[in-house]
This record gives sequence, C-alpha cells and structure tokens, in this order.
Amino acid sequence: MYRNDTIGPFFALLFSAALYLATYWDGKHIAALHGGKPPHEALSEGQIGLVAFATLFLIYGLIGYFSVWLEGVELRPGRHVPDPSGLVVALALLLAVAEAALGGFFVRLMIHHLTVEPVSPLAEGVVFGAMMLIGALLVAIYKKYYLGDEVLVEDEHSEVPW
Amino acid sequence: MSVYRWLDERLDLDRFNKKFMRKAFPVHHSFFLGEIALFSFVILVLTGLFLTFNFEPSTRLVKYQGQELPAAYVSVLYIDSLPFGKVIRSAHHWAAHIMVASVFLHLLRILISGAYKKPREVNWLLGLLLLALTVVVAFIGYSLPFDAFSVTATQIGYGIGKSIPYVGDWIAQVTFGGEYPTVHSIPRLYALHVLWLPLLLMALIGAHMLIMIKQKHTQPRYAEEVAPGKILGVPMMPMQISVMTVLFLLYLGVLFILAGAVIAHPIEVYGPPGTSTPALKPDWYFLWIYGILQMIPSSWQIPLPGGASITSEFIGGVLIPGILGLAALLLPFVDTRKTKQRYVELPTEHPMRTSVTVGLLFFFFVATFAGWKEEFGMTNGQLWAMLIFIPLAAWFTTYVLIRQVWGKRPADE
Repeated sequence: MYRNDTIGPFFALLFSAALYLATYWDGKHIAALHGGKPPHEALSEGQIGLVAFATLFLIYGLIGYFSVWLEGVELRPGRHVPDPSGLVVALALLLAVAEAALGGFFVRLMIHHLTVEPVSPLAEGVVFGAMMLIGALLVAIYKKYYLGDEVLVEDEHSEVPW
Repeated sequence: MSVYRWLDERLDLDRFNKKFMRKAFPVHHSFFLGEIALFSFVILVLTGLFLTFNFEPSTRLVKYQGQELPAAYVSVLYIDSLPFGKVIRSAHHWAAHIMVASVFLHLLRILISGAYKKPREVNWLLGLLLLALTVVVAFIGYSLPFDAFSVTATQIGYGIGKSIPYVGDWIAQVTFGGEYPTVHSIPRLYALHVLWLPLLLMALIGAHMLIMIKQKHTQPRYAEEVAPGKILGVPMMPMQISVMTVLFLLYLGVLFILAGAVIAHPIEVYGPPGTSTPALKPDWYFLWIYGILQMIPSSWQIPLPGGASITSEFIGGVLIPGILGLAALLLPFVDTRKTKQRYVELPTEHPMRTSVTVGLLFFFFVATFAGWKEEFGMTNGQLWAMLIFIPLAAWFTTYVLIRQVWGKRPADE
C-alpha cells in the first residue's frame, strides 16, 4: 500500500488461479462422493463462492496491472505527452476491425437464435465478452498512447462537492 | 462542439468541468475494489431491467408443456429461452455474488489500512450498511425464480427472521407477505428486490461517494514525500474516467464469459417447488451463519416473559452476527486518532489490528466449514474447538510474524 506496485495484483491473480483450481477439485470431490457422477449439473453453494472470489481476484489483478501500465507506480506532478508509434496505430486498427467483426457475428448469433435454433450460452457469452475485452484494450491503448498523463497537486480543502 | 457550446451558454458546463471534472484522484489499485462493487451494482441494474420486462412475480399456476407450474418459475424458463436471455440472467446472478465479495474485500481493505478513522467514520458506517443491504438484496433475489432450491433456501432466512423474540413474527410477515411461501410472498419480495431496496442502495451509494469526494481518498504513503499535505492525483476527466472505462469493460468481458460458460442457478436442474425438500445449503455468504446454526443444538432455548423465547436460530442467525456487526460499528469510535488521516496506514505498522483481522477471517472460514458438518462427520465439540482455537492461533501467529519480520513500530507503542 506504499505505492501502486504490482505486488497486490500479482497475488490477486495467483489467488484467482488457486480458487478456480479449488472449485475444480471441489467438483471432483463432490462427484467422487456420488459414485463418480455429480448429483446435478449445477455448481454447489461452496463452488459458487469460490468462483465469485476467483473472478473478483481475476478482475482486480488485471486492472491492477493495467493501472500500473497506464498510470505508473508513483505519480509525479506535471504533464507527460505520449508518442504513439506506427505499430500502436496498426494494433489499434486491427483491434477495431476485430471489434466490428465480433459485433457483426454477435448480431448473427442473435438472429440465428431467433429464427433457426437456440445458440449455446457459451458462444453468446464468449463473443460478447470478447467484444468487451477488446473494447477495454482499445480504451487502454488510447489512454496510454494518445491521451497522455496529467498529474495534479490539489489543496485538500476544496469546494467540491460543497 | 456547437451542441456543447449551446448547452454551455445555458448550463455553464465549463464551470461544472472546472469544479468537478478536474478533481484529483489518487492512484492505487486497491481503490478499484470499491469501483468493482459500484460497477457490479450498475451491471445488476442494467441486466435487472431486462429481467423485469420478462419476469412474472406470481405463484399462480400456469400450463407449461402439459404441467401446471408457478408463473414465476415459468417466466424464468421463458427468459432462458430468449436470445442472450440465459446469459443475461446468469450475468445478473454472478454480478450479485461478485458485488457481495467486492464490498466485503473493500471493507477489509479499509479496515487493514485504518481508513475508517477520523474524518471517515461516517463513511465506514455507511459502508457497513451497504454490505448488509447488498447481502439482503442478493438473498431476496435468490427467492424470485421460485424453484425447489430457492423456496427451501428462502425458508431458512424466513426461519431466522421469525426467531427474533417479540418482533420476529411481525418482521417475517411484513418481509415475506405472510407465512412463507404464500401467494403474497413473491410479489412482496419482488417489490423489495427491484424497487425499494435498490432505491435505498442508490441513495446510500450516492451519499458514500459524495462524502468520499468531500473527504478525499486516503492516499498511498509515497504521496507524503512527493506533495506533503496536498492531494496528489490524476484529474477525473479524462484520466480517471478512461481507467474506469477500462475497468468497466474488463469486468463486463470477464463476467459475460463466465456467465456463458457457467450458468449460475440453472432452475431446470432444480425443478419447480415440490413436496420434497431438496438437500441444500444457503448461499455462500450465509454459510458461516448456517455453520454456526449447525453447531448450536436446537435444545438451546431460553424462555422470556410473554411466551417468547431465545432460540438456537436466534443465537446463531441474529445474535452472533449482530455482535460482530456492533463491534464493526463501534470500531472507529474505539480505535481513534486525534489528527486527520491523510495517508494509508501500512498493515505491518499495526500488528494488533492486522492480526485480529486475520483471526476474524479464520473465524469466518471455520464457521463456513462447519456448514458441511454432516458431510465431514464432525461433532459439535470438534467444531467448537476449531472455531475457538484456529482463529486464536491465526491471530497469534500473524502477530508474532509481523513483530518478528517488521519489528515494533511507533504506531503500536
């Protein structure tokens, strides 16, 4: 908590992996207790808790690393002008094309679900999730290479919000 | 741009930007726990809007594939059949679990960094209220699909509410619309889940954030060397907003992949409520209470005047959580400081507070473990011994370790 370093995010990702693994082992254990086959195809209450914390740690770990990459370990007052290279422009373009393609594919999935047969939730979730992740990467690239940095030093007595 | 100018001439947007959007936000990844909780709420509202359009909060029987089933249950099956419907319902469910977990970890972060001290006592109290309310809203949401699982799980909560001496019956009747499950239960719980409690949550979240903006974050310690006595941070617009957008999209991405891969609460697996009670436990955030209830014999009854009594359900489900809640409420008035806290306190500088927190965490782990008392074939004596000695051992070990590794700091003198 001294500075915005990667120690917390690293352990968050480690915990996340351990908790997902524990969920898997718990499932195996439950199945073994019922003769090799789980009683039903739903997660147990304990597994839901493990996955909830595993997912939270995953999100926290990822945004922690993003934060260090985008904002740095320690802030220093002033403005920092970015310098985007041609490679960054190419990567952003590629991601934008992938985003548009996934968007089109997602619409096709919805139409297919309505007119032909139900689509698997896994396909729907993965395509929509991938769109959001690419969106996150695009905003991160924009912030890193186009927006630049500005660090303020503010008086602690302000008129905001009153 | 001309639209902005048109609005600016009428609403003085420039002044708004200079006053609010230039606010400096200190940077530390642990601040994201609160933002994850906030975004969970936003996602719950957005996915919940879709669900309200298609959910029927009623237990009247309707024909479905040759069977007579409760309308609430059938409407959830209908939601699952819609394009993206199953994923949205699953995402709503997972976001609720992640919100409870993130509010809990956010509070834990505040606790171990001492950020509840002067001048942030009020926000600590609001945070505790938000945690309690989040758990209640999530619990009520569980009851709505009206499947075999949710009816049985809700009955456990109903029993706990009813066990409060003198007022329990009244509280249970008001919350559950009578003796649960009645025809009034689902409409009552639905109104609480989608309207009254979210409105209360919104008001409390708004107050929590306004106070946070007024009092500022506790800053990472290095800021004391860079800009002593000042707020060192990035401007809200566009720096902080852009990082928040990254977090929001990242969260949505991970959440929807999870929601598609693992359908939370697949009601067709549990089936509609029937005459037999399925073997189940309450949701994970209630498992520690459930575990304590498992350890208290039902013979524990203390008669009170007027025919009321203190039951084992009241002791495990209300009294013990109530004592812990009260201790948390009193904390900022017991562990105080004279000066305003501007920077986070490092957990290693406060071995007693940190080790007690670790001990408390182990208390929750062991109590949760007790929820599987029958599966592990454990006796009440063994579980009580574990519940007392493991947290104590965790507290002692953590305390000694911190003292040995980081030494004695002035904060503990």
